[in-house]
Order: sequence, then structure tokens, then C-alpha cells
Amino acid sequence: MRCQEFRELVDRYLEESLDEARREGFRSHLSSCAVCRQVALQRDPTLLFAALEPQGDDEEEVERCVTAVTASIRRDRLERRLRRPRPWLAAAAAFLAGAGVVATWEATRHDAFPAAQAAGSVATPAVAAAPRDGAPPPEVQVDMPGEGVRVYQFADQVDRNTAVCYIVTPALES
Amino acid sequence: MDDRAYVRAAREGDEAAFAALVRRHSGGLHRAVARIIGDDAEAWDVVQMALLRAWRRLSSYDERWSFATWLYRIGTNLAIDLLRSRSSRDRAHRAGGEHHLRVVASPSASERVDENEVERLLDRLVTVLTPQQRSAFVLRELEGMETAEVARVLGCSATTVRNHVFQARKVLRRELARRYPEYLPRAHRG
Repeated sequence: MRCQEFRELVDRYLEESLDEARREGFRSHLSSCAVCRQVALQRDPTLLFAALEPQGDDEEEVERCVTAVTASIRRDRLERRLRRPRPWLAAAAAFLAGAGVVATWEATRHDAFPAAQAAGSVATPAVAAAPRDGAPPPEVQVDMPGEGVRVYQFADQVDRNTAVCYIVTPALES
Repeated sequence: MDDRAYVRAAREGDEAAFAALVRRHSGGLHRAVARIIGDDAEAWDVVQMALLRAWRRLSSYDERWSFATWLYRIGTNLAIDLLRSRSSRDRAHRAGGEHHLRVVASPSASERVDENEVERLLDRLVTVLTPQQRSAFVLRELEGMETAEVARVLGCSATTVRNHVFQARKVLRRELARRYPEYLPRAHRG
């Protein structure tokens, strides 16, 4: 940009009405031409700020910043990894909980139905043929031939609401 | 390698690619933030916060923008938040440095450009501007950004940017006359 053109554009620069290309040329001339700079500063002293030369980066500070940001990113990643839900851990917990339920159920069943536990012994007579004084014959509730399991239900005469179930392997009844 | 390629790599978790972006842009961002908040050391903290926030939000970066504009937007917003959170006591403390400047500024100051002196002058004067005026003036007048880019950084219209810069210049001219008359042209001094 020539000095004459620069001086003609001072007001338009201050009014923010220059197009970007001419504005850039104006700023460049303001920084490089001491005579025109003085003319411009006479017109408006705030042009001092536009005349500042672009500063170079402080390399040491930039490297310190790179190190600090990288360290923060690693810490951030680690924290996210620790917070991330792990499906295998949930599956393991579900499996352990399920195993616990099964074990509890097994223990409860053996306590509640000692005869059923005894039915596992060859010496025990078949459930249907077992003499039970005054008791009605047992009813087969569930028969699962493929599984080799038969479920009987006995009802007490005194209290018809009380039912006792025995799970028996049919082979043992013969 | 251009910024967008580094961003794509960083999105895949490449720390070295993001470090390259930090190396490329942190100096410029620091200069702008330091001029907005008027504190060189604190500006590095703001820059680091801005870069970490950028890393966390890389997935939301829109490649139609330049990475620098997006980063400046994050950094400038943090700087504006910082300015708003500063107490009036802090601002009064900063204004207390004005006497020192009167001593170092020579009568012929308007005839030359002493970089450090003008930077100090700016640090003291910008406290009278609103955070938006300050940011717009620094990005447009000192960093030489285009109006459209400043508008994207500040999240406002180009007209608003021009208005902020115009108003900022008016306030700075008045403050220069009141506090630092040695910077005025001889004909305008009281």
C-alpha cells in the first residue's frame, strides 16, 4: 500500500468499513512506515494497538504447556477408564449371585423335605406304596419321564391346606 | 499435516497428534487471552483449560470451522468467564499500576511504538471495557482477525463485533486522554 492511499483510508479503518484485504494492507503499512504511523496516531492514538508487531511464541512456555496438557489428558483418560462400566464384571457378579440363590434353594429344599433327600437311598420304599395311616393316596402332580422325575403331593387330613411335595426318581419306586 | 488431519487422528485417541495442535496454537491463544485478561501467567492456566476442554469435546468440533477459531472460541469464553468472576477489589488493584506507567512513558510516546510499553498500557486500559468489548478489540485490532472470524469466536453477529470494536475504541480514546495524555497528539493535549 502506498502512503497516500494509507492516509486516505485512516478514517475508514477507524469506522470499521474497510474490506478485509485493504484492512490487512492498512495494518501492514501502519507497522512498517514510521511517517504514516505518526500521521495515523495524530488522527487517533488508539491506533497504537494496531501498530504492535506480532510477537513470536515463547518456545519454553509452549513446551511446558504441551507437557501439562498431555499429562492432564492421560490423567483424564485414566479416570474415565476407572469409571467405565465393565460388562464382564457385571456378568461375573450376576453369575455369583445366581450361584448363591441356587445354593440357598438347595439347602432350604433339603431342610424342608428330608424324606425327599432320603428318597435318594435305594433302601427307601416307593413313595406311592409307602404306608401312611389315614392319609389319602398321594397325587402325582408333575411327571417328567424324559427327565426321570415325578412330583407327588400329599395332603394332610387334619389340615387340607397343607401340602407336602416329594420329588422322586421313578426308578426308585419299583 | 494440517489441523483437520491432526484432529481426526486425535479423535482416534492419538495424543501425539493433539500435542502437535497444542504446539501449533497455544502460543497464539496465550497471546490473545493474556491481552484480554491482562495477566500473562494466568493466561497460561486459561490456555491449558481451553486445550483440555477442546480434547474432551473433540467429537463436537465442526470441521467447517478452522480448528484455531474453535479453540479461540473456547479460550475466549473462559477468559470472559474469568473477567466476570474477578472481584472489583482485584480490578482496583490492577488499576494501581498506572503511576508507574506515567513515569516510564516519555512525552514523545505517540511518535514511536515501544512494544512492552504499549502492552502495559493496554493491560491497564482494557479494564474499563466490558469483557465482550475487550475480547472483540483484542481479536480484531491486536490479533488482526477478520470480522467474520471474531463473530464466530464470540458467538455474535459481524455487526455486533464492529459495534464492540467501535465502542471500545471510543472508550480507550477517552481513557487515554484522561489517564495518559502524553500519548495524545500534541495538538490534543490539555
